[in-house]
Amino acid sequence: MLQTTFNGIVTGVIMALPALAVTLLFGVLKFPNFAVGAMMTVAAYLAFALNAQLGWPLAAATVAAALAMGALCIGIDQVTFKPLRERGAITLMVASLGLGFILENVARFAYGNTARSFAIELARPFRVADVRMNYEQMITIAVSSAAMIAMYVLLTRLPMGRAMRAVADNPSLALVRGIESPKVIRWTWFIAGVLLALGGVLIGMDRALEPPMGSNYLISVFAAAILGGLGSPLGAFVGAIVIGVVSELSTLVIAPNYRIGVPLVAIAVILVFRPQGLFGQPYIRK
Amino acid sequence: MSDNILKVSGLHAGYGAGDILKGMDLELPHGKIMTIIGPNGSGKSTLAKTLAGLLPARAGTIELDGRSLNELGPPKRVLAGISYVPQEYNVFRNLTVLENLKIAREFMGANGKAARVVDERLEELFPELPKHYRIAAGNLSGGQRQMLAFACALTVRPKLLILDEPSAGLSPILTREVFERVARVNRTGVSILMIEQNAIEALRISQSCIVLSGGRVRACAPAREVLGMKDLNSFYLGNASNHV
Repeated sequence: MLQTTFNGIVTGVIMALPALAVTLLFGVLKFPNFAVGAMMTVAAYLAFALNAQLGWPLAAATVAAALAMGALCIGIDQVTFKPLRERGAITLMVASLGLGFILENVARFAYGNTARSFAIELARPFRVADVRMNYEQMITIAVSSAAMIAMYVLLTRLPMGRAMRAVADNPSLALVRGIESPKVIRWTWFIAGVLLALGGVLIGMDRALEPPMGSNYLISVFAAAILGGLGSPLGAFVGAIVIGVVSELSTLVIAPNYRIGVPLVAIAVILVFRPQGLFGQPYIRK
Repeated sequence: MSDNILKVSGLHAGYGAGDILKGMDLELPHGKIMTIIGPNGSGKSTLAKTLAGLLPARAGTIELDGRSLNELGPPKRVLAGISYVPQEYNVFRNLTVLENLKIAREFMGANGKAARVVDERLEELFPELPKHYRIAAGNLSGGQRQMLAFACALTVRPKLLILDEPSAGLSPILTREVFERVARVNRTGVSILMIEQNAIEALRISQSCIVLSGGRVRACAPAREVLGMKDLNSFYLGNASNHV
């Protein structure tokens, strides 16, 4: 059970990064971006190209892929979402579904369906308190935790983070307080792209690189964001850990194949009993 | 420098297909307070939003201190010197009081220490705010929230302050306090355009008053004169056409 819990925490910290991207984008742009899975896939393949094909160290390849994905996300917003912004959340959500389909198939077209892996040395697992761990899992926890701390600092200590929270809180008030929303939106996309790239690389290290690698996590990522409260960064992190651990623990009582049902059940239960999630603001109908 | 801080000519604005403001004219001299009154649906809040840039002007011109604002978005209008306090949802509820105060200055080009420090004059004007600095603005009472919104609008050192119903939902004591602060701010040289249902209290601190009805200015008079009217209701409803 301890081993399963640890595995769940690792899965949770991997999901925390895309869940944070989902919640940031939802907070500022007010729509659920279902392309996040495919965006992770594209970023992971970018890192793969630099690492396995060009021989860069994985750390450098990840940084480059993260920056490239941030820039790509800004470009995607300009071309895909910005022209549709005034048409409402449903239109944007449908556009994100189409975009996800396109991005995933671009990755499939470039690299095929064969599973691939990063060019990293496999280290021998080690045991702590009877729990088996490996070097990649330690990196995963360290990278995800560092990203979370960086996000906390950004959102609470830096002007751009405060502006992002202000736009998420009240977009029209932000405008009349002098905040340039388009600039805030571009930064939000850039940061989401970086988080998604880190998430994609961590998934690639944990499993393998294949076109549906990001979309396989999509339901769990949304369950984590919804459980934490859409728009709440802290909630996304806590929600991801909870969903990760509960999904892994569920394999003790149900067949592992049915594990995917856990986040679906979680979404249904949260939406019925606490739609604002653990840390979200209740929606008030006026 | 123009004689008037604000000059509006033939302004048309609205939502959807129809216009709410139908050719509105207005002139506010430097350093004065003008109260705008009128029945519900007359276009008062539409005027405030259009001046702040949240609604586009479909026709007509808006000038601040002789400079045209028509082509500027809301953030650029803040830089030009307009600060607007909406009637509702006028603070960032999930940000602390201090974050609310800081955020506008941070985007006004102030940097370093200047952006981080709250203006001392603001702390003098709103002495109750510092003890709430760490509290989320959403947890403040209605009166405290109104004071915070007012203070936030002043952080950018505006030339023109637009207040939309600053006393809405406040008790009579708080209402008097709000108007007293408005008058104090005006004495520092800030011109104020105030939309207010509480006409008598607002007129006491104003120099002029206009009545808006059906999207047009129906009457315009010095505030003192309006306060002395026997039939204020008739004026309020825009029937005193001789004042135009």
